[in-house]
This record gives sequence, structure tokens and C-alpha cells, in this order.
Amino acid sequence: MAERIIRVLLCKTTMECHDRGVRYLATKLRDAGMEVVFINFLEPREIIETAIDEDVDVIGVSSSVEGHLPVAREITKRLEEQGIGDVLVVFGGVIPERDVAPMKEMGVKEVFGPGSSADEVIAYIRANARERSFEVE
Amino acid sequence: MSAVLDPDKKPDPAETELPPQFNAEFVAATRKLEAEWRAKFDAIAQKFGVDPAAYRLQTDSGLPIKPVYFPHDVAEQSYGMLSAPGMYPFTRGLYPAQYQFMRWANQPVIGYGLPEDTRKRMDYLQSQGMTGYFGNTFYNLVYDLVSHEGIDPDHPAAEGRVGQCGMAVYTLEDNARLFDGLPLDKINVIHISYYEVLPVLAHYLAYARRRGVPWAKLGGNSMSWYYQSAYVGMTCFPPKAGMALAAELVSFCTREMPRWNTVNIFGYGMEEAGATAVQEVAFSVAAGIDYARACVASGLKADQFLSRFGFQISQSNDFFEEICKIRALRRLWARKCHELGARDPKSMHVRIHTHTSGSVLTAQQPLNNLIRTTLHAFGAALSGVQAMEVSSFDEALAIPTEHAHTMALRIQQIIQEESGITRVADPLGGSYYVESLTNQIEAAAEKIVDEVESRGGYHECHDYVRAQIEASAARWRDQIDTKERVLVGMNKYESSEMQDIEVFRVNPESERIAVERIRELRARRDAQRWEAAMAALDTAAMRFAGGEIGGLIPAMIEASDADATTGELMGVLKKHLGWTSPY
Repeated sequence: MAERIIRVLLCKTTMECHDRGVRYLATKLRDAGMEVVFINFLEPREIIETAIDEDVDVIGVSSSVEGHLPVAREITKRLEEQGIGDVLVVFGGVIPERDVAPMKEMGVKEVFGPGSSADEVIAYIRANARERSFEVE
Repeated sequence: MSAVLDPDKKPDPAETELPPQFNAEFVAATRKLEAEWRAKFDAIAQKFGVDPAAYRLQTDSGLPIKPVYFPHDVAEQSYGMLSAPGMYPFTRGLYPAQYQFMRWANQPVIGYGLPEDTRKRMDYLQSQGMTGYFGNTFYNLVYDLVSHEGIDPDHPAAEGRVGQCGMAVYTLEDNARLFDGLPLDKINVIHISYYEVLPVLAHYLAYARRRGVPWAKLGGNSMSWYYQSAYVGMTCFPPKAGMALAAELVSFCTREMPRWNTVNIFGYGMEEAGATAVQEVAFSVAAGIDYARACVASGLKADQFLSRFGFQISQSNDFFEEICKIRALRRLWARKCHELGARDPKSMHVRIHTHTSGSVLTAQQPLNNLIRTTLHAFGAALSGVQAMEVSSFDEALAIPTEHAHTMALRIQQIIQEESGITRVADPLGGSYYVESLTNQIEAAAEKIVDEVESRGGYHECHDYVRAQIEASAARWRDQIDTKERVLVGMNKYESSEMQDIEVFRVNPESERIAVERIRELRARRDAQRWEAAMAALDTAAMRFAGGEIGGLIPAMIEASDADATTGELMGVLKKHLGWTSPY
């Protein structure tokens, strides 16, 4: 049975020190067999550049201190422009409940709040990441 | 100072090491008593289906502990290693009187929105009894992420982040909006900044000069948290450049600002990133001695600057381990500073601002956090710290509301004025368990300090520090997922019933106003004066990068006075000292 390898870009702004969760998630996704790229970004365009360079299937943005709305708007828009709107965009961290619906409207597929487990995130990604063009035996 | 510390020599073992606390005959008797107790304990364990031989207890840091302690557990220890409050090695507290005549300082973290918004909260908390030393007020002010990054609010990356998680203060004029009308020579201002330490201080000093307040009369803190780049993913400067900037600040303040606290050792940040209590002690001491060495290398003597080092330490869930951690830190730091040549007792003091843990607070059932933070603050008080920030119960959700902020202050006030625990210094001193665990933590932490030192000192082993802290963070989280570690309301006693609490929101207009202000200031300021001051700063920064000490901060103050912004000042530092070119 062939197992597809899912490539995930995890990112967080350089401005934020709250990176314990996303670093933990990076190791868990790796342990679950995914390939993980982790970056600190200043501007959202860096996320898109890396996503294209690394040919990822999933973009996970960690945000715990606001600023998530402009980032979500920018990356969902640019993914569409680049013709890779099928890249799965998820957010995690401290995202106020009131912002979740507007983010989903922009094209963010899921938002994982405080207390979400790595297993939930892994299961979600496995179920929803786009099909890969290559597989390993 | 006591005879324990002769200024000119190492502590004489005969003086520090008083005889063991208990004689051999007594110890033999208590050992026999323990054996008798153990037999009874084992029988009960078996009734519960537990194999006594395999039964192990440990602290949250993973240190092995016993179900009960006896005198012989601390019999080998000299009483000299406990000493007395205010006496080397300060295990029992820094001051002979501890809280007798003055309680710890209330230092809630404040900062959001525009400077005027932050000022409103400052005035409100002051009106609610927020008190520092000698009746003066301490303002523990946090700058926003835009400032931390060293950009201005109109930078594209700042969108959505202005005045979030801190105040939107970027210029001398913003300092005026924040501090006008406050007696700068009476208040104490803690500037919580990350990499923008020098720009923030330069703005404050330029502002104070305009107010006619001599710098020597200013009290407060700069954070100099450059070493944080080892364990969090924000970094503007390589480790060596950060250390040089910290040493520059120490050198400047030693000359100009004797009341200023120049370096803050941020154990709290380590613990929040996942470090255990033992690692927090170890990496705090390791970072501290590394920075102290850099200051000595710049030509200062230990006793000239070490008394202005402060510590911000976490108080987290393992009640006794967290208390013992504070006591062990005080002793280990005193010993290490003595080795560095410190002789003045103040140069060996771990002055602690406790920050109760934020990482163990939950978004689920948020009112439970009031109980957690009360326990944390209570432990910090029992360990005898100097100042306290109690996290608000809405910590896991947002910036605190006024109500949540007030409750956090009330926790401190109730412990200070109702519980009676301030009556006696080091009230847990002499507990066999507390003393034994204090010794264990000190020994375990010193082992890690030795490891860091053998790798060339803290600034040479960021990778090691990061790996250690990340491994602890992963272990902690795994334990929560497997429910081996309980967080009530999160992985046990969960409830679908929502606790309906107000969630704070920064005025969405703040960002627009901050951007307008900075653009308007750039258009209005004296362009020629600004250009000249920025050119002078550029030269000073270039010389500083070349190893010349002393000129950087004065040049930055002049640029601040010419209305240079945080983003502009940081741009110069990043250009000459940063990883990358300025944004």
C-alpha cells in the first residue's frame, strides 16, 4: 500500500515569541510521517514564496496575538492568484471566536484553538490535504 | 555584611560551613524511624495494588522525591548554606527584614492600544492600590510586537498588530502621551521590550531630559533579553551582537544611571517556552554569568554592575518545587557571582520579579485560572520574592480586561494583607522536604550550568539550550495528551457549559491613529536635524560594531530627541549588527 507524503509549511511571524505550540506541532507532524518546513515570516508574501519553493500541500499559521486577519486575507488571495488555491490553509493559536467565520469565508479551512491536540491536527490534515503527485512505497 | 563574607577572600569554609545540623546518634535514630515508617507505608501501597519497590515519585522537573522527609535527609548540609535572610548565600531571602516593613511590589504588566489607552489602565490600577517600594508606583509596561520587531506601525508587516499585546509607543512624543504629569523621579518604569531595548530607553531618556529630570534620578528596568533568541523564534541580532548591546547598556548606566536595572534575566520566558524549573534556574544563571563576563571584558568590575541585574522568574504549578527553585536560584547565583569577583552582597542578589505562569492557564473554564494564579502567587510569596505580576484569568484568551486585571491585583493584596504569611521570613525554611529539594534543584541546575560553560558559555550554545527546552516542552505536552498530567477543565473535568466572560478587544481605531501620527511626525519634524542625528548614529553604530564602546547610546538619545522613531533607530542597529539588512 503506497503512502503519500504530505508536505506542510508551518509558520509564525518573527514578531511573536509564543512559538511553543507550533514548534511542538512541527515535531509531531514530522513523527506522523509528514515533511515539515518551519519559517518565521515578517510579511505574508514570504509564506507564499516558501509554499511555492517547497511545493507544500498545507500551510499552518500560528498566531497568538492578533494580526491573523490580514495574514489570512493576504495568503488566501495570493494562493488563488498563483493557481494553487487547493493548498490547505489552517490556523492555530489564540484566535478570537468572532474571527473564525470571516477567516473561513476568506478560504481558511480550519482554526485550531487552545487545547487542540496534535492528533486532531494530524487527523484533519490527513483527511483534507490535497492529493500528491508522487507517492512512496 | 556578616563575617561569612570577607570582602577580600573566598568564603572561609569554616565560616560558611557551620557544623552539620544533626549529630550522628540523632541521625541513626531517625534513619531507624524511617525504616519503621517504610514498612507501614509499603503495606498500604500493596493494599492499593502498588509494588513498593517499583514505586517512584518525581517533581514536575523529573527530580526523584520521597513520600516523606526526615532530618537525616538534610543532615549532611551545613546550616551555613541556609544562613539567615539577608546573609550569604541568601537561600532564605535577600533582606534581613524581608516583608516586615515593606511588602513585595505589585507589578502587573500593562500595555495595549495607544499610549493614552495604556495610561488610562496605569492610572486605574494605581487608584486600586498597585504599590511599589516606599509607597511609590511601579509601572510594568509592555511594548507592542511592532516595536519588538523594530519596525514602525506603517510597515506592511505591522498590519493588524499595532497596539496588540503591548502599547503602540514608537517616539519621544508617544512617551509624552504616556508619562506627562507623572513624577519621573518617583516612579519606577519597567520597559518590557525585546530587541528594541536601546531605542526604547533612548526615547525615555530624551523625554526625561526635556522634562528636566536628571537621568541619575530615574528608576526602572531595561530588559536586554537578547539571549531569548536561544529558545524563541524571534531574533534580530546574533548572540554575540546581542551580548555586546547588553554590555553597552550596562556600561552606559553604570556611568549615568545608578538606579537603573540594566539586565533582566528572563527565566520566565524559558519556563513559558517549556523549560522545567531546574532548566529555568540553570539557563538563567548561565545567561547571567555570560553577560556578566561580557561586562567584565568591557572593563567593569563585578561590584560595579552586578547589583543592577534583575531576574524575572516564573511561578508555576508544582507548588513546592517552584518555591525551592527560587531558594536554589538565590544560592547558586550568589555562589557564581562570588566566583566572578563580586564581594558586595548586593552584587550577589537575585532580585526577583515573579511572573505567575501563563502557559499553564487554560482557555477552557477560564475562571479556574483565578485559583491557579492564587496558588502561584502564594508560592512566590512564601519563597520571598521582591515583586509580582499575577497573570489575569483571561490570559489564554486575550489582553486582560479591566476586571481581570483588577482581580489579579486583588490576589496579591489578599495574600499580602489578609493571609498573615508576610509576618515571618522564609516560613518554609527548615522543612526537611523544602531544604532537601532546594539542594537537589541547586545540584541539578549547577550540572547544566557546567555543561553550558564547557560548551563555551551561553552565547555559544543557543542550539543546546533550545534543544533542551524543546524536549521539555514536548514531554509536558505529551503528558497532557496522555492525561498523565492533569489540567482541570482541559483534559479532566471537562464541561460543555461555557463560562461566559468578557474578552478584551483593542480599539480597532488605534492602528489607524498610530499610523497617522507617525506619518504626521515624519512630515513635521526638523528634517535637517533628524538627518544629522541619524548620520551621527550610523557612524556610532558602525564604530560600535567595530568594537568601540560608549558612543552608541548617547548618539541614539540625540536621534530620539530629533524625533527618530523606533523603526528608524532599530534600522541602524540591524544594519550594523543584525542578521539581515534593515527592513
